[in-house]
Amino acid sequence: MQTKDINENIAWAKINADVLRSMENPRKGYWIAVGACLLMIACAVMAEIYQYQVGMGPSNLNWPHMWDLYIATFVFWIGMSHSGTLLSAILHIIGADWRKPIYRFAEAMTTFSLLTAGLFPIIHLGRVWNMYWVLPYVSDRGIWPNFRSPLVWDAFAITTYLTSSALFLFIGMIPDLAICRDNARGWRQKLYTVLSLGWQGDDRQWRHFRKIYMLMACFLIPLAVSVHSIVSADFAMSIMPGWHVTTFPPYFVAGALYSGCAAIITLFILLRYFFRFDEYMTIPILEKTCKLTFAIAMVWTYLNLIEFASTWYSHDPVAKELLWAKFTGPYAPFFWMMLFCGSVVPFALAFEKMRRHLPTMFVVSLLLNLGMWLERWMIVTPTLSLSHSPFAWDVMWPSMVQWAIVFGSFGWFGLLFLIFVKVFPSVSMYEVKEMVFHRRRHAPSEETAQKLHRRADDPKPGAQPSTEGA
Amino acid sequence: MKRYHIMGLFSNFEEAFAAISDIRDKKIPGVTVDDVTLKSPIEHPEIEEILGDRGSPLPKIALCGAIFGIVFGFLFLAAAQATFLVQPQGGKPVIPLPSNIVLTYEMLILFGVLSTVIGFLINARLMTKRHPLYSEKVSLDQIGIMLELDEKHVNPVKDLFKGHKVVEIREEVAA
Amino acid sequence: MSLKNLLNDWSHYRKGIEDGGFYEYEHMWGMVVDLNKCTGCNACSVSCYSENNLAVVGKDRMMKGQGLHWLRLERYWDEPDMGGDDKEFQERGGSFLPMMCQQCNAATCEVVCPVAATYHTPDGLNAQIYNRCIGSRYCSNNCPYRLRYFNFYSYYEESWPEPLNQQLNPDLSVRDKGVMEKCTFCIQRIRTGKDKAAREGREVRDGDVVTACAQSCPTQAITFGDLLDKDAQVTKLWKSHQVELGKTKQNKSDEDLRGYRVLEGLNTDPCVMYLDRVREV
Repeated sequence: MQTKDINENIAWAKINADVLRSMENPRKGYWIAVGACLLMIACAVMAEIYQYQVGMGPSNLNWPHMWDLYIATFVFWIGMSHSGTLLSAILHIIGADWRKPIYRFAEAMTTFSLLTAGLFPIIHLGRVWNMYWVLPYVSDRGIWPNFRSPLVWDAFAITTYLTSSALFLFIGMIPDLAICRDNARGWRQKLYTVLSLGWQGDDRQWRHFRKIYMLMACFLIPLAVSVHSIVSADFAMSIMPGWHVTTFPPYFVAGALYSGCAAIITLFILLRYFFRFDEYMTIPILEKTCKLTFAIAMVWTYLNLIEFASTWYSHDPVAKELLWAKFTGPYAPFFWMMLFCGSVVPFALAFEKMRRHLPTMFVVSLLLNLGMWLERWMIVTPTLSLSHSPFAWDVMWPSMVQWAIVFGSFGWFGLLFLIFVKVFPSVSMYEVKEMVFHRRRHAPSEETAQKLHRRADDPKPGAQPSTEGA
Repeated sequence: MKRYHIMGLFSNFEEAFAAISDIRDKKIPGVTVDDVTLKSPIEHPEIEEILGDRGSPLPKIALCGAIFGIVFGFLFLAAAQATFLVQPQGGKPVIPLPSNIVLTYEMLILFGVLSTVIGFLINARLMTKRHPLYSEKVSLDQIGIMLELDEKHVNPVKDLFKGHKVVEIREEVAA
Repeated sequence: MSLKNLLNDWSHYRKGIEDGGFYEYEHMWGMVVDLNKCTGCNACSVSCYSENNLAVVGKDRMMKGQGLHWLRLERYWDEPDMGGDDKEFQERGGSFLPMMCQQCNAATCEVVCPVAATYHTPDGLNAQIYNRCIGSRYCSNNCPYRLRYFNFYSYYEESWPEPLNQQLNPDLSVRDKGVMEKCTFCIQRIRTGKDKAAREGREVRDGDVVTACAQSCPTQAITFGDLLDKDAQVTKLWKSHQVELGKTKQNKSDEDLRGYRVLEGLNTDPCVMYLDRVREV
């Protein structure tokens, strides 16, 4: 059984070769995937053109269901974007070096899911063409946006997060782009020469690089927390029972990290399979990610229970009615499915056998994300269906227009990601080298390794030193 | 007197570190560790002790950017609100502190990040031409030690490099 | 310059509704709806449609909940022991609640609009600027009364085909798709009333302004007026029922006083008082 995060004796030239190979010569399957994504986007574009011309009516939105899948999916994608920050920034600060082979695609996911999420508040506007009014530009009429509105906070937070995470992704990639520059020919060489900004691996560059990476990680962690708290403020700052909940900010942040982790597992398995990254995206690293996901899943479950309990305890009749309707009302099947996917399915992550079985993990991670998407839907829609005014109670099902746009957003994300993996290195070469270098330097001697080794079923404990001491 | 750039490429990192230690210990009179530029495929926090504390102003730049973000952010918001008196009130004051705190916080981070990145680009001498002696091996798996020397020191340094199993030595006349 | 402005008026800008707010109100338009007099005839709603150019959306869209009814008549049926299941005299258990925008002084919709399309006027009204609205629909979500309606389609061709467009009220606009709208307390009539008073060189008197719903109510269940005018009918009614603005709970000397404001416990401070229906059990 493989117990080491990475093989320390891997040749550095092989690291370069493996990663660079993944960026070249797209196979047939790649183009099929690109085509599928384009088709999905086409669905969404057609739906949006229809909605743009006719109005918001065809989406089945109504009074009182003014928000629905668009906002739910917006929250979902924003949540997804927290994965990169978690893996890059938090694990970087606490010095968990197993993040190094897998953080690059997680950071790319952050940027691309933000680019996807940013589309939804725009799509959902009744008058899309005026969306820039939300931004605080100086106008000679002295008109500003309303800075009290959580939607304006969203605009600020998403702009800041997108800028910072894209810069974080780019800065972290500069040494790798230099590697690409040194190995590429043709248009790629021109592109990487510009993008690598003349990186030559000076000690001066590395010194500042280490500082900026740590500093940006320090900026990104509170930023990520604030972004999802602000998204939760869209709901928590309102006066609606079911939304006006104090625990929403931590609940949203936990849900965000949760869906981000689940998506990392999905993409981990896909990249490992298609790019044959078996030596970098190893089973022990997957296991660590799974354990992390399990812990976050339990935090999420706890916050769910707290929300139910505090609603129950509050004696607010409207909120209690709403909670009861979530359990038994027309949306109950989805609510139970959310609880099943979000709180029961993650127990699969607690078993080593399952954690190490890739197909199982693939299905589990998809289910977890389904649960997280349902969570967002179950936050938005049931609350609107039941409000203070019983006359405005209503049940609504989203129309094909909404579904098409939600469906297309996955295509848009997929397309961005597919382009990314062929243009940029999806495994951080220089950091894998660092990891290998430091692990080899600090590898325990054979005796310590034997002492530290706990697994009974390992064939030759001595030949495979444990990583515990690293 | 002619000045030379000389770079030795090492595939064994320990030997390269030993070579730098030798230079620091003044094995060659007239060559100090301050003349050394290390070129490496990975970052080496442990080498900094040998190279001496060369410092980085980035944390200070980040702090300045963040403070600017706070001050500018709050004043910008408050000034905008104070000139926009037909804005919706909802029973709230013209300048509501809770929402301004949220937005100021975002501005803090935005300006902190932007100033750090700009500080990095300037301090790390990025967006300049690569050094003529730059070798593609550096981005692969070799470590380079580059020195700017007087002519008389070239040969002793070469000998030192050779003593530490150098793979390749490159040199050029400095402009 | 703005900095000077900030420093000079800081304490003024920091006044919330608890400290009297930023505005000195010129008027505070308010309403009283006597549910004892309401027969649920919907005349108010119909007059609102014709006065305010409300689009008729058709049965299908109305069923889908995409209608625009600024003034809606909510019907509620009593518990069975109150006569709610009386088959013979169905109206016995029925009660009606005409709901129009409550023109809250601490309006929840105003705070959340991202582009400041809804704001508070010095008349104490909660105004909607159609041209500024981008249709984020947050205001409607945050209205506890659900009194804001959205233009899900463009209606100006379907709703008023020739020659029906002749019936449109020229005093206000026809809204296009993607815009939120709601009851304005017939702001065009308020404007006309104020202009008339100004031309005649006098203050606005009670009765100068009458909303369409109040005008058309056959039982005169709706009274409209300025709550800052001590002699106005509304002010007297509010006083006699011991209902005051700016409170989340009214102190009443007599339990039998019927006046109440809908959901005032949420601290929205609405300007519409309802007089509870009295009935035999």
